[in-house]
Amino acid sequence: MKLPAAVCLTSDSGVRSFLERTLGGFRLKFRASAAELLKDPPEKGLVIIDSSLPDMSGHDLVSVLRGDKKTSALLLVLTGPGPHSPAAAALLFENGADEFFPFPPEASLFRARLLNLLARSGTRAAAAQNPAEYVFGSLKISPEARTAYVGGVRIKLTALEFDILLYFLQNQGRVVSRTVLLERVWRQGMEAGPRTVDKRIESLRSSLGPFGTKIRTVFGLGYIFRL
Amino acid sequence: MTPRPRVLIVDDEPDYLAIAARIAAKAGCSVVTAATAGKGLELAAKEKPSMILLDVGLPDLSGFETARRIRKLPALALTPIIFFTVRSELDMVAEGLKLGAAGYVLKPFDPDELQRRIKAAVFPA
Repeated sequence: MKLPAAVCLTSDSGVRSFLERTLGGFRLKFRASAAELLKDPPEKGLVIIDSSLPDMSGHDLVSVLRGDKKTSALLLVLTGPGPHSPAAAALLFENGADEFFPFPPEASLFRARLLNLLARSGTRAAAAQNPAEYVFGSLKISPEARTAYVGGVRIKLTALEFDILLYFLQNQGRVVSRTVLLERVWRQGMEAGPRTVDKRIESLRSSLGPFGTKIRTVFGLGYIFRL
Repeated sequence: MTPRPRVLIVDDEPDYLAIAARIAAKAGCSVVTAATAGKGLELAAKEKPSMILLDVGLPDLSGFETARRIRKLPALALTPIIFFTVRSELDMVAEGLKLGAAGYVLKPFDPDELQRRIKAAVFPA
C-alpha cells in the first residue's frame, strides 16, 4: 500500500516532533515558513499548517492557497492556538481550511481524521466560494436569497446594508477601514464618503438588534465585526 | 530608559496608516509614517527604523521595489520588513516573502495578529 504523504509547515520543534510521532508511516516533508512552502508549493495532497508561522498567519496562508488555481485542490489542515470563538472557527472553514485541531490534538483522533480526509479526498468537491448560509446563534444570513433573520424575524436591510453585513461576515475579527468599505462594497453612483459609511453602519447596527453591538468602531477609523 | 524601537509605516490609505500606527504605538514603538514610497525611502534613510510596515500597492512605486531599494541602504540591509496589503494572490505573496520579508499580513487584518508580528520583529526573543 502506498504510504500517505503530507507537507508539514511549522517552525516549532514541539509541533514537529508531535507530527513525527503521531504520523508514523506517513511520508512527511517539513517546511519551516510560508516563504519556504511558496517557493515550490505542492499542487495536490495534504498540507498540515501550524497556525503560528514566523512569516504569515496560517489563516491568511489558507486563503492564499485556496485562492490559487494551482493549489486550490490541496487538503489544508490547520493546528495551533485558537480560533477564539465558534464564529472565528466558522470563518476559518469558510476561507478554505478542511480541518482545524487545537494544538496538541489527541494523537489517535488526529491520525484517524487525517486518514479519513485523505480517503475521501478523491471525491472532494471544489470548495464553494461562499457558504449557502451563515448561522450564528439567532442570526441567520443567506447570501443567495439576500435575507437576514434575527431570532426567526426577517430584518429589513437595504441592498447596501446587506452587502456591508456580508463583507463583515467574510472578514470577521479583522479591521475593515471605511475606505476599504467604500472600495469593496459601495457601487458606482452611490453617495460616498466617510460620513456616509458611518451613517450606514449606524443604521445596520440598529437593524441587527442584539447583534448590532458586534460591529465595533476601531479608533474612529474603521470597524471590526466579532461574533 | 531604553528608547522605544522606531517603526516606519508606509501606506497610502490614511485609515489603515492611522490604525497601524496606533497598533504599533500600543506595541511599545515610536512611529513615523509616510503615504508614498518616495517619502518612505527618505524617512527610512533618515530615521533608520527598527522595523518597516510596508503596503504593496503604493501610488509611486510598488512596495516590493521599495523593499529592494531599502535593502540596498547598508544600515537597513537587515531591517525586518512586513508587507501589509490586500494583495493575496499566491505569486504576489511568494514574491514578497522571497524578498526576505519578516512577514506578510493580509488586509483586512486581525489587529492582535498585526501587533504580535510587530512585537516579534522589534523585540526578538
